[in-house]
Amino acid sequence: MSSAAGPDPSEAPEERHFLSTAEAAALERELLEDYRFGRQQLVELCGHASAVAVTKAFPLPALSRKQRTVLVVCGPEQNGAVGLVCARHLRVFYEPTIFYPTRSLDLLHRDLTTQCEKMDIPFLSYLPTEVQLINEAYGLVVDAVLGPGVEPGEVGGPCTRALATLKLLSIPLVSLDIPSGWDAETGSDSEDGLRPDVLVSLAAPKRCAGRFSGRHHFVAGRFVPDDVRRKFALRLPGYTGTDCVAAL
Amino acid sequence: MSRLRALLGLGLLVAGSRVPRIKSQTIACRSGPTWWGPQRLNSGGRWDSEVMASTVVKYLSQEEAQAVDQELFNEYQFSVDQLMELAGLSCATAIAKAYPPTSMSRSPPTVLVICGPGNNGGDGLVCARHLKLFGYEPTIYYPKRPNKPLFTALVTQCQKMDIPFLGEMPAEPMTIDELYELVVDAIFGFSFKGDVREPFHSILSVLKGLTVPIASIDIPSGAGIQKVGWGRLGPYPPDSCPHQV
Repeated sequence: MSSAAGPDPSEAPEERHFLSTAEAAALERELLEDYRFGRQQLVELCGHASAVAVTKAFPLPALSRKQRTVLVVCGPEQNGAVGLVCARHLRVFYEPTIFYPTRSLDLLHRDLTTQCEKMDIPFLSYLPTEVQLINEAYGLVVDAVLGPGVEPGEVGGPCTRALATLKLLSIPLVSLDIPSGWDAETGSDSEDGLRPDVLVSLAAPKRCAGRFSGRHHFVAGRFVPDDVRRKFALRLPGYTGTDCVAAL
Repeated sequence: MSRLRALLGLGLLVAGSRVPRIKSQTIACRSGPTWWGPQRLNSGGRWDSEVMASTVVKYLSQEEAQAVDQELFNEYQFSVDQLMELAGLSCATAIAKAYPPTSMSRSPPTVLVICGPGNNGGDGLVCARHLKLFGYEPTIYYPKRPNKPLFTALVTQCQKMDIPFLGEMPAEPMTIDELYELVVDAIFGFSFKGDVREPFHSILSVLKGLTVPIASIDIPSGAGIQKVGWGRLGPYPPDSCPHQV
């Protein structure tokens, strides 16, 4: 697959449901460079839409008090930034707690962290390795650790250990963009691969989403202009009303 | 807080519990075919006293609104880009709830978005982009553009999405009534002070003569700042028209 943007010629143009990692990067580049979106804008839109997906998969009226507690695990890269935004939006109705052990120094991450702190979202200083403690303390977990193209080895010990613990989770797991630890192209499990119940694909599904077998798959891509969608020959279900996510 | 959101018709998760009534993005509708349900703000007459009694909605003075903004920027480290994106998206959502595409005559419904020279105009640019994504056909009139990257980027996003920018404002209200089913007023916001300068003075005069509905972002532009004072922002009963300048 060349790194230049463009659909895979082996797939009929109307049938494409997924993007390769290179295409996803090219789509993002187009939004940033041609459309002059800011990275902060896109992260905010993705994080907000991820929170909306959580409310659709786990509607508040159906949840007990305990089930409204959400653990959001954030890595140091863009996926983690989306997780921080998601946690802030979840704060309105749910009770999020964040585990963000390896902190990025960039300004975007720092500001997003401040926003969460100022909204009284607790940050755990460590994550128990005993998964039963997590199962008991929270109603669900949001995995915002690794995005496409980020190697598990890049994110440091605490994140890697967290993923190992999350693999044994019995409460529901929501993964943002790709299940952390999956190969974004093939979907094959790495040692730390997760089995989420809900997948929220950002902008468009990645190829590994073909191997997702959980309960709900949402695409959070309302903000993607039609022309860009057409350029990547993506065929996705329509969005209803003002919804920013669509169920696949 | 959730009651406030119901009142404003927002489908979004926007603010947190610590932030007191973040920059209430009120939609003020002057007239038009739409109805407001019992939990929404009443445009058809006096305030529904039951709604008022059961819901303590605080309206912000100009000073308070500015103080909220300052706290968000300085303490919460929000950026203008972030807040503007959330504001514009929530306005588009509110407009789509008040005037759903299926309730409009044209398909897609045509909307004229008039953007002023400051942040309210920026909110309007974001709003127009999301209205396009929601299935409307917006057109923008943006006569005075700040030379700042934030605003030029927002313009580019709209242009790339084939949202036309008018070269001049239609001079007659009837022209607007014929071409557009809804007008979004994103001219002046809560920090507006002083006299209304051209071209906005003329624009507001034209808007006064419209029969199609107007949705104002944050405050009805030019609304009685000197006359009414800032104790009361938001929808006005129709017998005190907010567009007198």
